[in-house]
This record gives sequence, structure tokens and C-alpha cells, in this order.
Amino acid sequence: MSQPIRAKNLSFSYSKDGKKIIDNINLQVNKGEILAVVGLSGSGKTTLCYCLSGIIPHLYNGELSGEVYINDQFIKEMNMPQIATKVGVVFQNPETQIFFPMVENELAFGPENLCIKREQIGKRIEEALSLLDMEDKRYDKTEHLSGGQKQLIALASVLTLKPEILIFDEVMAQIDQKGKQAIKDIIIQLKKEGKTVIMVEHNLDNIEIADRKLVLKNGGLKKFEGSLQ
Amino acid sequence: MKEVCSSNTFIEVNNVTFSYKKSEIILKNITTSFDKGEFAALIGPNGSGKTTFGKLMTGILSANEGSVFVEGKNIEEISLGNIGKKIGYLFQQPARQLFNPTVKEEIGFAHSFMGKSKEIVEQKVNKIIEEFSLQGLEDASPYRISRGERQRVALASIFINEPSFLILDEPTTGLDIVRKEQLSQLLKSLQPQGIGIIVISHDKDFINKNADRVIELYGGEQHEA
Amino acid sequence: MKLDPRTKLVMVFSLSTLAVFVVDTLLLSIVLIISIIVSNFFKEDWGFLNRARKFILLLVGIAFLQSIFSPSGEILFGIKDFTLLTTGGLAKGIRVILRMLVIIISATIMKGSSPREIIQGLIQWKVPYEIAFMVSLAIRFIPILGQEAKDAFTAIQLRGIEIDKLSLTKRFKVYSYMFMPVLSGVIHRAKELSTSLEARAFRAYPERTSYIKLELSKNDLLIMSASIVFTITMLVIYILLR
Repeated sequence: MSQPIRAKNLSFSYSKDGKKIIDNINLQVNKGEILAVVGLSGSGKTTLCYCLSGIIPHLYNGELSGEVYINDQFIKEMNMPQIATKVGVVFQNPETQIFFPMVENELAFGPENLCIKREQIGKRIEEALSLLDMEDKRYDKTEHLSGGQKQLIALASVLTLKPEILIFDEVMAQIDQKGKQAIKDIIIQLKKEGKTVIMVEHNLDNIEIADRKLVLKNGGLKKFEGSLQ
Repeated sequence: MKEVCSSNTFIEVNNVTFSYKKSEIILKNITTSFDKGEFAALIGPNGSGKTTFGKLMTGILSANEGSVFVEGKNIEEISLGNIGKKIGYLFQQPARQLFNPTVKEEIGFAHSFMGKSKEIVEQKVNKIIEEFSLQGLEDASPYRISRGERQRVALASIFINEPSFLILDEPTTGLDIVRKEQLSQLLKSLQPQGIGIIVISHDKDFINKNADRVIELYGGEQHEA
Repeated sequence: MKLDPRTKLVMVFSLSTLAVFVVDTLLLSIVLIISIIVSNFFKEDWGFLNRARKFILLLVGIAFLQSIFSPSGEILFGIKDFTLLTTGGLAKGIRVILRMLVIIISATIMKGSSPREIIQGLIQWKVPYEIAFMVSLAIRFIPILGQEAKDAFTAIQLRGIEIDKLSLTKRFKVYSYMFMPVLSGVIHRAKELSTSLEARAFRAYPERTSYIKLELSKNDLLIMSASIVFTITMLVIYILLR
């Protein structure tokens, strides 16, 4: 089975003598699976997301050792735009992921950056919205969307970059019950489309959809057996 | 005007309607009251007006129609400064209510700013630090501690004024189960002191575990559960 | 009629140029009336004037100060030897108000265009896209900044501090305390924003394509040239009259 994302002996600390937030992690994620990583706040979940999506070391500095591979390509040797077409990330705060007044503008932003042709962008917008069953929202104002809908639009704007791997960093933390359910349904839908999903969570209610569950504690990853501590 | 003050009622909400714009009514004819020592929860989906309701009861916003009474007095006639001595309000983002370079100064701020003597402030701060299990963080910056700790600091800083009521806006957002449990413990430890609590939240587990009474808001109207 | 954001930018620029250069009450009034007509044409609601009430009061205050400190012309109102209002001062004050109103009202012409379209207009005018996007994002977050400052101010008062009873120096101290939460919010948000921008391949290449495309219609060109001709004519009349 192919493994689109792998980490080998991965360690990270924000400063040279600082505590290792991530300590010698080895991880293989299989194509088409939903992997959940749970952990208490401060256990390094977000840092792990940053390492797996190239945000570390490309945007944030620190002491990084070990390797992350995206489809057998060393993530350090790829640049952010290259990574963005392979790995899509949705973050916790819906407000700082929506930049534009209209849903369509938002979805077009990524492919525009990649210099995709206009007609192609239109097609990608349609595809992403239809996958999320949100075609009717295309011309809506983003400020009128609920928190859950904003997260879905943030996801859709990442999907227009056509990544095969999706990372969700506590995307349901600020969302109400109904919004959470909608996001979970979509994640299952993404799996059916053959996407590989990594979801990071502290809320155990949100991970029932996962195929495999790991817990992050003291910088290391272990099989999750019901306890975060 | 109705003058209400049964012995235990602390906040009385009388037929309150609120809208930011004329076209969209956020809250419609809400009437309810909250007692000293009770633990109430205000639930409802995002955008149902929960936060607005909390802000109305703290005098941060004013009702378009109807009125809110605190200890029998119309909230419109009480200054924010005086409400703050009775009702502690925890913002959804506690970082917005922290102003000082260290946790110690933060907790003592309300008193030291008003010119109370150093010894008295320090004594009180030390007591509160213990009550809120903030030992070891005295000299840390409130901005460089974890979210759970920051929230406790914000609560502790409110507590120096010894409020008799607390309104907490989404206090469990971003807290993991261990920190949530700590928050439950903390809130429970306040109840014997007769402090009333309203938690605004969509965290069902937390509410089922803690609240004596649940008020649900949807479509701008209240539904007592 | 839907106009290109660039056309609107030219109109705003023309009107505010006149407001800045013309120092004649009559001509300024004409410019103001034109601004109001044009802005009304784009069906602007005038609710913002209500919100800007304090600001306008401030302007009126400035007008009075102007006349106190630079008296000229005849005395209209005074207490003993102390001149409060002169014709020259009054005229100056009115001009300041007219000028500000022209700038504010003409700027509302832009309100009907979506920020994304304005960005596109600037990019098609060869403004580097990084700058256009950054400015637009900054503007988008101004209201949130305001909300944060308001929350911080409320929170300080809720600590039991009664602003009305404080001395002026203490009051300033209260404002200085608001600096920390607001600044921390700004830094935090900037970090999150830049991370999500980069994660969506922003600045991948020196160029980028655009899904929306602006094209100047005949109307646009007509209105744009009319604005420019009008502005130049007004400036010429003004200079000749002087």
C-alpha cells in the first residue's frame, strides 16, 4: 500500500535548548485512510501538523531533525507552493482563513496563485463545491456564513489546489454541534474520493470517524487506547 | 416600572428584545431570572444570541426594549465599573481582558490601580493565586502561558473584586478534557460561597455535568429545558 | 449601471484632488454637491454619517478653533476684547468641513465595489499583487481591531474601575493598558493569516492569474475621461479666478 506521507525520526523544538515538542516520531499514513491524532492541549499536536505540512521549516524556524516525505519527496526540498498542491491544511480559527467577501473569490485564490488558467479555475471551483454539496453558496457573502460553513469553505479553498493529503488541525474546536456533524460527514466523503486525511483533535467525540487513532504525549506517538494522559 | 427583588434573585431579565440592526432581531421578549448560588447554562447554536444575552446581563450592551435588573436595580443606571464589582464576565478570548506584564500584577490590578496599599493587595493576590492553583506562574506573562492557565488568570483577576455572580462566555473552547475537568472543579469550589454562575456554551458534556438549569436559545427565543 | 472599480477610483481621486487644492468656498460647495449626487447615484445609504457624527462634531470644533487662532475679517461674536468668531475664521472653518465632507462622501463611491474587485483593478493597473492583497486584508481587519479595543476597554471597566470618576491622568493610564491586549491580538492574527495565506500557495510566482477579470466598458471610459476633464477644468477656473 502506498504511503503518501511519512515521518522518520522526526524531532522538533522551538529553540536550541528548548524542550523537544516532538521527540523522535516515526509515522506512516496509508493512502485513503483517516488517521486521528489526539492529545492534550500543549502536547504538540499543532506543531506536528506544521511539520507534516512543511509550515515547519518553511515558515517557522526552530530545531528540526529527521525527515518528512510527501510521496517519497523530502519536504525540506520542496517549496511551499509545491507542498500546497500535495498537502492541504485547515486550521482551527475560521476567521483567519477567509480573506475575501465572496465564496467564489475564496475558492479561486489558491489556483490563481498557481497561475492556473481561468477556465480550469472555474472547473475546480465547481468540483470543490459539489463535493461539499455547497454549490448554492458560490456567490454568497463569506461574512454571512456560520462558523461551521466557514470551515467548510476554508476546506473547499484548499481543495481547489487538489491536494491528495488533508490535515485538519482541531477544525471543530469553535464549531457548534450541527457544524461538527457537517464537517465529519465531509471528511468521510473525502476518504471516499481517495484522499488521505490526518485529523488532530483533543475532543474524543470527534474521532469516531477515524480508521486509526494515535495519541501524542511527551513528544511521542503511540496507539490510542482511551486515555490522553 | 416593576421593582423586583425576591430575596434570592440576582439578575432579573424582563421582556428583553435586542437587535443590532432593525431588520434582524437577535433576542425577542426574553424574560427570566437568575438566583444567587445557581449554576445555569445558556445553550444554542452559533449565532443564536447567547453571547449577546450575556453582554446584556453585564451591561456591555443595552436592550432595545425591556430591562435587566441586578439586585433589583436597573442595569442602565449602574456604571460598568460598579457592575464589575458584582458580576464577573469572562470573555470568549481571555486575552482581551489581560493587561499586565505579569500574572501577579494582573490579579492585583483592580486594587493596585485604585491605589490600595501594597501589603493588602499582595495578601489578597497570594490567597487568590492559591485558590486558583496558579502557584509558580506569579511572574510569568499572562500572554505566554497556556490557554487554560490564561483563562484561570482572567477569572482570578476578576475575583479580587469578590463578585457574587459570574458569566462565562464559551469557557471550554480550546480546553482539553483535563483542563475542562479543572475548570469544573474550580467552578464547583466557588458555589459554596454562594456565587451564581451562568455558562454560555455549546459543550453538552460540560453543561450536563455542571449546570442545575439549562436555557436554550434558538431563533432569538428562549426555551427552558 | 455597474462601473469598473477603476472608474470609481478615478472619480474618487478627481473629487478629492479638487477638495485638497481648491480654497474657495463656493467652488468647494459645488464639488460637495457633485460628490453627494454621484454618491447617491451609487445608492449609498447615509447611515455612516450617523456613525461619523462625533467626527463631524470634532470638525465643527476645529472650525471654531481656527477662527479663534487665526482671526481675520470682521468680528461676529466676542466677549469683551476676546474674539471668538470672525468672518474670516468662519469661512476657513466652513472650508475645512466642506473639504472633509467631500473626501468622506466621495470615498463612499467605492463602497459598492467588492474589495476583491478593487484589488483586481489595482493589479490590472500594475500595482504589485502582494501589496494590493495586503492592503485589502489590512482594511478588512480594521473593524475587528476596533471590536478588540472596545472589548479591552469594557474589560478594564468591569474590573471595577469607574472611568467617569478618574482624574485625567489616570484615565490616560487606562488607555495605555489597552495597548497590550490589542497588540497581542494583532500579532496573533497576523501570524495565523500569513500561515494560511502561504498554505494556499500565496506568492508562488511573481505573477498570478485571476478568475475575475475586469474590462472597461464604453461607459467606464466615458465617465473616467469626463471626471478627468471636469477636474482639470475646475482647477483651471479656480486658478484663473484667483
